[in-house]
Amino acid sequence: MQLKKPIGASLAEEAKWEVDSTLLFYGEDNDRVMDASLMTSVRRVLDEDRSINVSLTVDALTGATPSGAVPANAVQTFTSPSGRASYDIAAGDTPLDDNFLDTRVALTAGWKQSLGENMRWSAGLSASHEYDYLHLGAEGRLEWDFNLKNTTAFVGAAYGKEDLDPVGGVPIPLSPMQAADSDAEGDVHGGGTSESKDVVDFLVGVTQVLSRRSLLEVSYSYGQSDGYLNDPYKILSVVDPATGAPVAGPVGSGLNLYVHESRPGSRTKQSLFAEWRYAFDRDSFALSARYMTDDWGIDSQTVDARYRWNINERSYLEPHLRWYTQSAADFYRTVLFNGDPLPQHASADYRLADSDAYTAGFKYGRRTGRGEFSVRLEYYHQQGGPSPGAAVGDLAGFELVPPLSAVIAQFGYKFGF
Amino acid sequence: MNRTRTAALILALAATTACTTVEPWQRDLHAREDMRPNERDAAVDDHIYFSKEASSGGRGFAGGGCGCN
Repeated sequence: MQLKKPIGASLAEEAKWEVDSTLLFYGEDNDRVMDASLMTSVRRVLDEDRSINVSLTVDALTGATPSGAVPANAVQTFTSPSGRASYDIAAGDTPLDDNFLDTRVALTAGWKQSLGENMRWSAGLSASHEYDYLHLGAEGRLEWDFNLKNTTAFVGAAYGKEDLDPVGGVPIPLSPMQAADSDAEGDVHGGGTSESKDVVDFLVGVTQVLSRRSLLEVSYSYGQSDGYLNDPYKILSVVDPATGAPVAGPVGSGLNLYVHESRPGSRTKQSLFAEWRYAFDRDSFALSARYMTDDWGIDSQTVDARYRWNINERSYLEPHLRWYTQSAADFYRTVLFNGDPLPQHASADYRLADSDAYTAGFKYGRRTGRGEFSVRLEYYHQQGGPSPGAAVGDLAGFELVPPLSAVIAQFGYKFGF
Repeated sequence: MNRTRTAALILALAATTACTTVEPWQRDLHAREDMRPNERDAAVDDHIYFSKEASSGGRGFAGGGCGCN
């Protein structure tokens, strides 16, 4: 029997050092978010049992994002998050907050080590920084092979500490937006200058070889977040329950009535994930499904499929489809109605709305003597569901949950030596 | 209801592919790089979808570490 190197053999099988770099462009339509990101990781294989990995990511974000307020039949004026300036949104337009400019730097370091013949552990540290956000995290994972390595069980845990230091300070939940004051400094919203949250995740799962060609991975994860879970830049419009028009805000402010969002101070998420992979003689196929539920009332389902067409020993093409659907959080409100009692929690963040999304794209990769190059192009479209009860009066004519389309272009280069 | 459907799907998938012990020398196909998840692409996807949707994680930890949600 002649042994030949399998299609898609890993660079790491021979390399002591592996460098993997990715340049990512993400762009949304209608001048919304643009992101350019560079990720580089270096992996050093120390010996058969141990490896170390360090990665650096730099993200540059610009553009505008929906504030949560709804369109109106007249020009709307909003105060920017700093409290120092204001901006106008034309009649009929979705209010976007364009005070959105950020650079994010993230660092991770990880260690992997075998524990005898059938066990491995890994541990990692992560830190990332934006001008208004700091994340510090740690994670660990243990894997155990048995049943002639046909079965691998794994458990893991992660902890993250996130500090928020929003521009203009922390808004008091459900307090009205105030008029801009060009001399305002620091905590203009009255809720203090910073807040924090803690995020703990647990993961348990198993990977089972089903046949010479297929395997199944199933995992369950549990996540708990506690602390300040609001988005400090999101607001809700308060409208007249008959006309749907915004009502007047604080006396003398010249603004309509917009209130800062209010989310619960804790969230528990559970997900069940399964992936089935199948190897053909030349190609392979991966199909995964995820079900997530949380105590905010959100249920979501995701199905993801990739077909890897190994064109020859040097190049491949990988079409990819993803479908996603989620239900709204219990406290999601497109608008609040004037005269109704204020709910304890309310958010008009489109990411907590009822929505469906799909992604379609492909990746092309080519191995050369100097390493592997890849290009990935994807299109993402997200469509909010209807907003029953919110489409009163003027609002019936507007798109209350704006759809989102984005293009993702990713360029990769990795090499070993 | 949805939870039941997902659980049934996973069980059906597992049941239709009976587990047999695959000996180490029969693992040539499993050893291929394309039979393992691409961790970099998964990290990129997690970061994007974490910023745009209410779900995260699944395959691994929930990602995060950004003020985008």
